Order: sequence, then C-alpha cells, then structure tokens
Amino acid sequence: SSNEHKLNFKKSKEVCLSYIQDALLQKQWKRAAEFLTCYVESLEKDYSREHIGPSEMIWRIGTEILWHHSQSRMKEFNCFMEQMKTLGVKRYLKVCLEHVFHLLCNGQIDEAYQNLSLAESWRFGEQTAIQDKEIKLIQAYRGLLDYCSWSKQKKILLEHGEDGFADLAVEQEMHGYFRKAAVNLKEIIKIPGVWDVFMKCYVDLLEFYGEHNEARQVLNEYAYNSKFPVNPNAHVYLYQFLKRQGESKKSLISALKILHDIVPSHELMIDFNTMLQKSKKRKKRQLGLEVIFAALDYAGWKENAKAWSCLARQVKQIVISEKHLDWLKQEWNSRKDWWPDFHFSHYLAKRNWQENKSLSWEKALVAGILLGKDCKYFKYVSHQGCKARLKRFRMLKKFVTRHNPVYLRISG
Amino acid sequence: MEFPAALFPSYFTAGPPREEGGPAPVAGWGEHGQVLEAGPGRRQAQPAFVPRRGATGERWEAAEAAAVPVLLPSAGCWIPSPAPQDILYRSSLCRKLRAGKSGATLDFAKQLGHFFVDHPEDAFGSLGRLLHKNFYLGNAKLKRPARNSTIRMTALMEDIDRLEARRGCPRQHLASRLRWFSHLCRDWLFEVPLGLLADCLHEELAQQWSSLLFDDSLTGGALAWLPPEDGKTPVGRLVHPGGQAMNHLYFQDVVLEELPHARGSPAQFELSGRIRQVAAARVDGQDFVGVRSDYHCGVWRVPGKTGAAPAPLQVIRTDVPASCLTVSPHLPGELSVCTQSGTVYLWSVETGLQQLRHDPQTMFFRDHSPWRWSDFTAHPRVLSCADRTGLQCLDARAPKRCHFDLFKVGEEAGCQQGERVVLPMYLGRAHPSQYLVTTQFSMYVLDERLPLVPVLKWAHMMKAPPLFAHLMPGKTGRSHKVLLGASRTQELLLLQYRDSFWGVSSGGSQSACQLAGTAQKLHSIAGCLQHLPTQLPHRHHLLQQRLSAPAAGLAATLQEDGPRKSMLIFQLSEAGDVFCQRLVHKAAQPPAPPSRDEATTAPGSSPLFEAPASSPHGLGTAALRYRRWLRALSRAWREPPQHTWPPSLSQRRLFTRRDLEGPAGPSSLQKQMRQRLRQTMQEGGRIQHWEPLALQLPPLPQTRELAGGPDPLSNRLTAAWAGDWDQWWEDRTSFSVAQRQRALRERRRRQKRAQGRRSLSASFTSSLTYQSELSELSDVGPSLLSPGRPPVLSQEGSPPAGSPPVRSHPPSPAPEEALLSSQSLRCRGIPKERRKTLRDYLSVWAEGPPEPPELPGSQASQLCFPSSQSQLSSASQPRRKRPRMGF
Repeated sequence: SSNEHKLNFKKSKEVCLSYIQDALLQKQWKRAAEFLTCYVESLEKDYSREHIGPSEMIWRIGTEILWHHSQSRMKEFNCFMEQMKTLGVKRYLKVCLEHVFHLLCNGQIDEAYQNLSLAESWRFGEQTAIQDKEIKLIQAYRGLLDYCSWSKQKKILLEHGEDGFADLAVEQEMHGYFRKAAVNLKEIIKIPGVWDVFMKCYVDLLEFYGEHNEARQVLNEYAYNSKFPVNPNAHVYLYQFLKRQGESKKSLISALKILHDIVPSHELMIDFNTMLQKSKKRKKRQLGLEVIFAALDYAGWKENAKAWSCLARQVKQIVISEKHLDWLKQEWNSRKDWWPDFHFSHYLAKRNWQENKSLSWEKALVAGILLGKDCKYFKYVSHQGCKARLKRFRMLKKFVTRHNPVYLRISG
Repeated sequence: MEFPAALFPSYFTAGPPREEGGPAPVAGWGEHGQVLEAGPGRRQAQPAFVPRRGATGERWEAAEAAAVPVLLPSAGCWIPSPAPQDILYRSSLCRKLRAGKSGATLDFAKQLGHFFVDHPEDAFGSLGRLLHKNFYLGNAKLKRPARNSTIRMTALMEDIDRLEARRGCPRQHLASRLRWFSHLCRDWLFEVPLGLLADCLHEELAQQWSSLLFDDSLTGGALAWLPPEDGKTPVGRLVHPGGQAMNHLYFQDVVLEELPHARGSPAQFELSGRIRQVAAARVDGQDFVGVRSDYHCGVWRVPGKTGAAPAPLQVIRTDVPASCLTVSPHLPGELSVCTQSGTVYLWSVETGLQQLRHDPQTMFFRDHSPWRWSDFTAHPRVLSCADRTGLQCLDARAPKRCHFDLFKVGEEAGCQQGERVVLPMYLGRAHPSQYLVTTQFSMYVLDERLPLVPVLKWAHMMKAPPLFAHLMPGKTGRSHKVLLGASRTQELLLLQYRDSFWGVSSGGSQSACQLAGTAQKLHSIAGCLQHLPTQLPHRHHLLQQRLSAPAAGLAATLQEDGPRKSMLIFQLSEAGDVFCQRLVHKAAQPPAPPSRDEATTAPGSSPLFEAPASSPHGLGTAALRYRRWLRALSRAWREPPQHTWPPSLSQRRLFTRRDLEGPAGPSSLQKQMRQRLRQTMQEGGRIQHWEPLALQLPPLPQTRELAGGPDPLSNRLTAAWAGDWDQWWEDRTSFSVAQRQRALRERRRRQKRAQGRRSLSASFTSSLTYQSELSELSDVGPSLLSPGRPPVLSQEGSPPAGSPPVRSHPPSPAPEEALLSSQSLRCRGIPKERRKTLRDYLSVWAEGPPEPPELPGSQASQLCFPSSQSQLSSASQPRRKRPRMGF
C-alpha cells in the first residue's frame, strides 16, 4: 500500500502541475499561485528521477507568477529567489543569474552588482566546477557593469575636464573599474560564443587606453576563429575598428569582402558598393556590380531605394561608356529567368509608382536597360511619368530608347 | 533589413546534443535567458537592460468562452480514424508483460480475424466454394461414410466461442480441435498465402500504430486563409478540405464580422486523394494555393479580386508519397515539393520540376524518418531543406555546390537528446531572413545570416509536437504573433516575439529577437463540449468523438479597424469541421485588478448558452451558431448511408433451430456450484480450491513418468536412433488384440467408478479435453505402451485397478506438512536457519498449483482429433471420465 500511496501521490502531483500549467497558460496568476502553494508539498517526498525535479519546477513557476502577479513586489521576489537558491545546489548559479537579470531589467543595477559579486564568490565543492559556464557568465556580466560604471566616470571626467578641473580620485576610481572590467571581459571572449556586448565594451576600453594592437588582435580572433559561430557582427566590429583607426581602403575592402561572402544581404553592402565604385581598378568596380546585384537578390532589399540607385548609377555608367557590357551580361545571365517576375512585374510597377516615385524611376532605368524598352515595368512607369509630366521620366524614356540595342547585346 | 547591432550573449559548442532530458512540463517558465544593454540609452544615467524573454507583450483576450463553428458540418458521415484501443491488445496478461518494457502490443490476431470475417470472399473465396460440401453446419451426428470426408463445423464454432470467452485466462488450454483444424488447413485454405497476408497486415498495423503515435503526414496543416486584397472589404477566403474522405477542396468566401460566417456556396474541386496539406502564399496580389495529397500535388491560382473563381494550374504525381509542399512568397507559380524518398524539387508552373537534391539519408546523423521538408528563404533561388536532424539551405542554381547548414539538432542550438525537427517555417512576412523551427520540445527562431545559432529559443511545453504554425506579422515596433498547433491534442498556443524593441519612437530599428509576453493557450475545438447543452449519453459520446478529432490545420488573420484590433483563429479538425475563435486586443493599460483579470479569462465565465445582457435576441450569436451546427450534425447522424453497414447474413440457413437454442436452464452441475458459492458467501469463507478434483493439475506427471520408465516418445526416439524403428512400429501395431481388449475393459471399469465419485470434475475436464469417438483409439495408447506398469500417468486420471480409491491428487497435504515440520527437517539434516526458507518455499507450492507445463508438440497434435459428438448436448450432462490422452 505504500507503493500505492506513492503512486497516488505522484498522480495528484501531476494533476496539480497540470492545473498550474493551465492557469499559467491562461494568465490566471492568482489561481496558479494558489495551486503552487499546494504543489510545494511535492518537495517532501521527491522520488522523481526526471531531469527537472520539483524544486526546479517550483523555482520556474514561482518566478513566472511573481513576474506577472499584480500584487507581487520586488521585495517578495528577492525573498523568493533567495529561498530558491538554497533549494537546489545544482542550479545555484543559474538561479543567481536569473535573479540578476530580473534586477537589471528593473533598473536595480546596484543590487544586481551585489548579487553578482556574491554569486562569484560562491564555492560548493565540485558543484562550482560543474557550473563553470554560469560562473563565466556571472563574471562577464560583472565586467559589463564595471564597464558601465567606468563609462559613467569617464563622462564625468570628460565634462569636468573641459572645465580644466581634473579630479584625481575620480580618475583613479575610473581606472579601477577599467581593471576590474577588463579582467572579466577578457576571459569570456576567449570562449567560443556570441559575445557582441562584451566584445564592444572590451574594445572600447582598450581603445581608450590606446591598446590598439590588442584590440585588433581580439577583434580578429572573434571574427576569424573557426570555433566561433559565423557572426556577421564580428566582421562589422572589425570593419568599424579599422575605419576608426583610419586604415587604408584596401584593408577596409578586404574586411567587407569577407562580410559580403558570408552575408551578401548585409546593410553595409551599400557602403561597400560605393567604395568599390569609386575605385580606379576595373576588378574592384566589377566586384561592386556583383555586390549590388547580389544584395538586390534578397527579398529584404526589394524596395531599398538606395540600393536601386546604386545599381542604376553603375548600369548607366556602363551603358554610356559602352565598356564592360560583359560584366552586365554576366550578372544578368544568372538572373534573367527570375528577376523579371521578382522585381519587374506589372503589379510591382503599379505599386512602386504609387508608393515611391524615385524608387520606380531607378528600377525603371535598370529594367529598361536589362529588359528593353518593351518590358512591362519600364513601359508602365515611363508612361505614368510622362502622363504626370515629370521631366525626369521623359529623360529616362529617351535614354532607354537610345540605348535599346544594349539590351539585345546583354540578353543575346 | 539591418542586422541587429548586438546579439544576446550565448555559448557556442559544436557536436551532438549533450543535455539529456525529455518533455519537461515547465521548462519554458521563469527564465529571462539573457539580457542585453538596450542601445540608445547612453544619455541616461543608468544603463537600461532588456531580457530575451519576459518583456511585456500585447494583451489579447478571448472574446468567447469557446471556439465556435464557422461552417455547417458536411452531410456525409464521418468515419473516425482508428483509436489505440482498436489496434492494441488489451488484457491483464499483456499489461503485466508490458509493465517491464515499454511499448504496446498490437492485437494482430484480432485484426486478422476481422479481415477474415469482413472479407471472406477475398480470404477464402475459391477454396471455400470448392470445399463447401465437406463442411457440415448441422447439428446431427454424421453418418459413417460422410464422416470420412466431412467436418462438423458446429463444434468448431463452439470451440472458437469458448476460446474467446477465456481470452486472457492464464490457464488457457489449447483447443485441440482448433489447433488440429488450423494445422490441417492453414497451408491451403487461404486465397492469399497466410504468411504473406500476415506480413502485410502486420506491417499495416505497425504503420497505423506509428501514425497514431505521431502522424507527420499532416505537417503544415490543411487550412489556409486568403485575406482580402486591399484589407478593406471584410471578405476573405477559407481554403479547406472536406467530404467523407477529405478529398474535396473548398474555396469558401467568409465574411469577417463579430463572428465570421460563410457567404455563398464554395467553389469545389474533387481530388483523387485525401488532402494532407493546403499551403498558400500571395505573390503580386494573387494567391497561389498548393494542395498536397499522398501521391498528387496541385496548384491553384486565386485572383485577388473578391469573388473571382480559383483556377487549377497544374498537377504533379509522385511515386513516393510527398511529405511537403510550400508555395514561394517571391515568385508566382513556384513551389517546392519533397517526397519521402528524400528528393527535393523546385516546381515551377512554367518550367516544370527541377530536382535539387536526392538523398535518402538524413543530413546530420542517422534518423529513420523519411519525412522531408523544404521552404523558401530570403533569396528566391535559395531553398531550405529539412529532415528530422536539421535544416540546410541550398542554391537552386547550383544545389550541389552552394549550400550551408542553417540548423542542426545538436549542441550548437542547445538541443536535448532525442530532439527532432517537427516543422520548419519561413517567417518572411515578419522578417525576410528569419525562420521558425519547431521540435517536440522547443521552438527556435533562426536568422539565416547567423546560421546554427538560434536567435530565440523557448521550450513550448506542448503535450504533442506542434505540426502547424501560423505567423501574423506585426507592423513596425509591434510584436509578431506566432500560433503553434498540435494535432492529436488540439493544443493551440499563441506566442509573441519582437525584433525591434525600441519601439516606433526610435524608428523601430533592428535589434536582437526577444520573446514578448507569455505564451497563451487558446481554445481547442474539444473545449466547447462543456458549454454545450446536455445531450443524451450516446449523443454525447458521438459529439465528444467528433469534437475531439485530431486537429488538421490552422489559419489566422489580424483584423484592424481603427483602434479595435482583433485576431481570428480558424482551426480545422480531421472530421472536416472548421471552428473559429476571436481574440480582442486590450490596449496597453496598467495591470488590471486581479479580480477582473481572472474573471474575464477564466474558462466558463461567459457560458455560451446564457443570454448576454447586451443581446436583444436572448441568445448570443455564438449560441445560435452552435444550435444550427448541432441540428445539422444530428441530421447527418440520423440518415446513415446505406453502404456503410456490413452485409447481414441470415443465421437460420446456417444453423438448425436446435443449434441456436441455448440450454433450457441451469444444469444440475451449475445449480450445485451456485449453491456452494452462495453457501460459502454466507459463511464468509472462501473457496480456495474450487473443487480439489476439478482442478486440472497436469504438472509433474512427466517427472513421475520418467521415474517410472522411459516414455513412449523416448522409446520411439531411442528405437529410431538405434536404427530398429521398423521393429518398434511393428511391435506397436501388432499388439495383441487380447491385450487391447483387456485394457479397454479395465478402463471402462475405472470410468464407472470415477463417474460415481466425481461427476463435477469429470464434466469439467471433459469440456477441456474434448473427447471424441475417435479418441478411443488414442486412449489405448498409455496402457498400451506401458504394459508393465499401472497406468497412473494421468493426474486427474483414476487410480489404477486394485488400488484403494484414495485421493491421489492434488498431493495430499499430509506429506507436505510432514515435510515442513521442523522435526522432519532436522531429520533430513537441514540446518536451522535454512528451514524457514525451505518452509516458505514449500508453502508457496502448497498455496497454488503451478502453471501447467507446456504440452509437447507431438502431444498437442495428437489431441487434435475430429469430434462427431455434439458439444452442446454433452456439455449439459456429466461426462464419462477419461484419462488424459497423450504420452
């Protein structure tokens, strides 16, 4: 019968849990809280071997309820969290971290910092080693908060510095924050992961203290180490750093070239294209055409007027100079079977004309050159433009008609 | 679209999933996950942080207490798909067996039996016709010449009935006659070779069972909503399957009002297969609707103007069932198709099919599932391909060369062991480079610019894997809504996520993805049952069955007229019913007082069938809708289609009246037993041994026999081994007639005595051992083969001639007790500490008879002799007692 009792207990535990779950999913926080007080009994005889035991369930459910319950206060929340920390050694640091997150989101930065420091000094035999990932994160977040204090001090110092009044104490405090922040931030960015926030802070610190070489090294590591995920931001940060350092065009281009290879649809591709168009080298200008065509392949760029104007400008240049029509042909070849439907349909002509006239002008130019003056898009837009007596569109019509043979050469 | 300037921190490890786990009921609660410094807060004194999960979301509240039917039920009768109890073997024995190892036992025999009964022509047609002279269905005894070539079926039928009655009985004995019959004819009686038929049936059963556990053919869902083009006219179109076999495709105009209602009759297409999936996408103001059935896929074009007729464009046929069909949101008339053989096609209405990949193996690790999926990405020429192990993107222009991994079930995404991809979906309408991937445990949002690392992950805690998903993009600064739906449990979950959290004020610039608000459970179809008026029990049962049919599709739409925003969610069930529920947006307001908060959302707080004060008609529109739906449903139930009934046969032609007559009253034996039962109950005692001699206790004879001398089989085998088997046979057949007669006489004498002594046990055993006229012959066997020793081999058998009529069985307790006494144990030199163990052990034996030993095959086959004696008549009268046959 003890077995039966155990079984019944388990059953009622499950039923209770399903009630709680139901209440949570219907946002009935009060009802959930009532059930949770009953569920706490399940802690008494915890026979379960499931990977989420009752104590973790109580932590999760309780936290969720306290987030939303209309009568919960921060004090109660903190109290609950402290209890939950003692309830499970195995996830002590995780609970700490979640507690800190909640404090941070509620603007209680100082309390969060205190909690982080406490958690960092927590030692519990081998459990400390097992929760290594959490401890690293705790240190990193502490570093982040130290950085925040540092930048606050820096601001004060800069403002006061203008007055010619330098406070030595403030400065020393600031350097202290720097040291604390740098130590912790440096650790986390060595581990493979996505550490955009920590990276930015660390690089900012290094740059301020003139350690450009280390900053460059760290950024290169973040961008090119194959153990890290392919993170476009890593390349963006490197590019921005190089730009701030006033590096040569060549190194900027090579940084962006890699970004182009991994994310052809990145918004920096416009900068990249402009940079390449200005270049004197033919190869670079060809790459520029490639880049802008590739960007416009993506659905997110469909109505990007800036990109279309880049393409229109380059296409116009090529057509006028009548040089490098082969570039155009090459790019067009892999697109001619789907760009007309994707970009230059009658429906889109109508919509673009209604919504954004200058976009439709740029697009009509490209369509007219690539598809000839009989293409639907060009015909519709130029017709509408002429009807509206817009000089720009009349010029466009003339231009395209004059260069119609180009179309034959490209598509041939 | 810009890439977020900073992403939430996360670890990145490659490799197989390390975390062990399983479905965790609460894993999705109570975590912020990570926080991120919210960008432009530099001017503020304090940095501001935003969480990955736990930010406030929009408030949506259900307008009704339950989902409401949109369309009237179709006239045809709905045949529910098999339930677990239909194909599983259920008995106490099996449950015990199953307790040890998980896994269900398929009731294979029952299904095979159903097949024989339902399709006798297919099963035995020609041989049945050939042999029908040799089967006798009457009750009378067969005469000598006929007996040689005719079998009496009545007895066989009785045996079958008896076998059925004793199903699950651990003491079930072999029905010798059945065994004999099946032994005789299983090789030739069946039209289809039995082995082959059984194989096919077993395969089908296993497949049915696995599809009951998880049916992935429904992935994607068979319901689509085509919104009105301009968003002004409130008339959209619902595309859904219907009809008895779900093979009719309907395009139904639906007017969106307080509750949506159908307008006009739908455009209807009859297809040649059950519709599994309906997918739709809008390109250039036209809707393209793809429809997938197992072996056919079709595409329809629906012009944007309301009322324009849908036009079928193209149909393709596949050799292997298709598992996926998605419609391109970029180019008109482009779709992607996957088949279960692992092939992915890009299907263009203009240019036809282009094979992108063919690989029966899964991508990242081995998984047995043939399910494949494919969808479009931000680049119109790049398609994603998925199987249970992950997602890859490949370029249609060079599918072999250009591809990258988008999602892997592994440590990269923090997956659990055993986690599998259930449904991938392109979220292009919300964000051109985002992707939704659901598994049985979690939902992930991926950005194809940052492959392998999910930008969002949340444990959805649904009881069944989400097979359906629907996206409702939010405009700048507002959250996107995702609905997840499960099939079997009809669960429906509403989630909100945001990819720009600085709101409209700062231009809604791109930021890392975050979940907004908490997940919200929506009404399931079955949930309305409790609100419906009370029904007659059988009606209630039918209604329950109908309403809890697995969900088959999901669609939704956002409706905004001015400040009032509402969300309409349609859910399709396998029975073809489309239900709808409306959620109302509550504008940002300070958290309402809890009393109100709970009152408006608590289930049953606004009963459907109570007259709301505001309604002038007395009843709400929802209630009226239900009335009509129920009325139509009951009409459909009332007229059962003729062909669904099984053909009935008149029994009169098969059996004589006497056959069908039951026994007139309880036999004397039954009376006796009842009396005894009653008496024992009055006394409050118990019947431990029903009747000591009635119990068939076949155990131990073998050992005794062995002690007595080698059994006939051993004799025979020894003889055969020695090479003089001929001699043995000679001896056996030429046994002297005199000896035989003597043996017969002896036995008859014994029987007489036995009859007088225990008629009950005699009848009991006789009903189990199935005497027959012919068994006379075999009865001779024992005495015949062991002439030198008294025939004591049978347990229930009578004592040998001349021996005193003591109760030979069960072994009288006396010797056992003697054995158990400590004195006797000491005498035997058993140490004191072991005596108790031994006593316990022996008492176990005393308590209940051990399980009957398995009969050896030769004995079993010998038991199978045809009987020409009526079982019905013999059962009611005490039988002659006979020793058990066999060796």
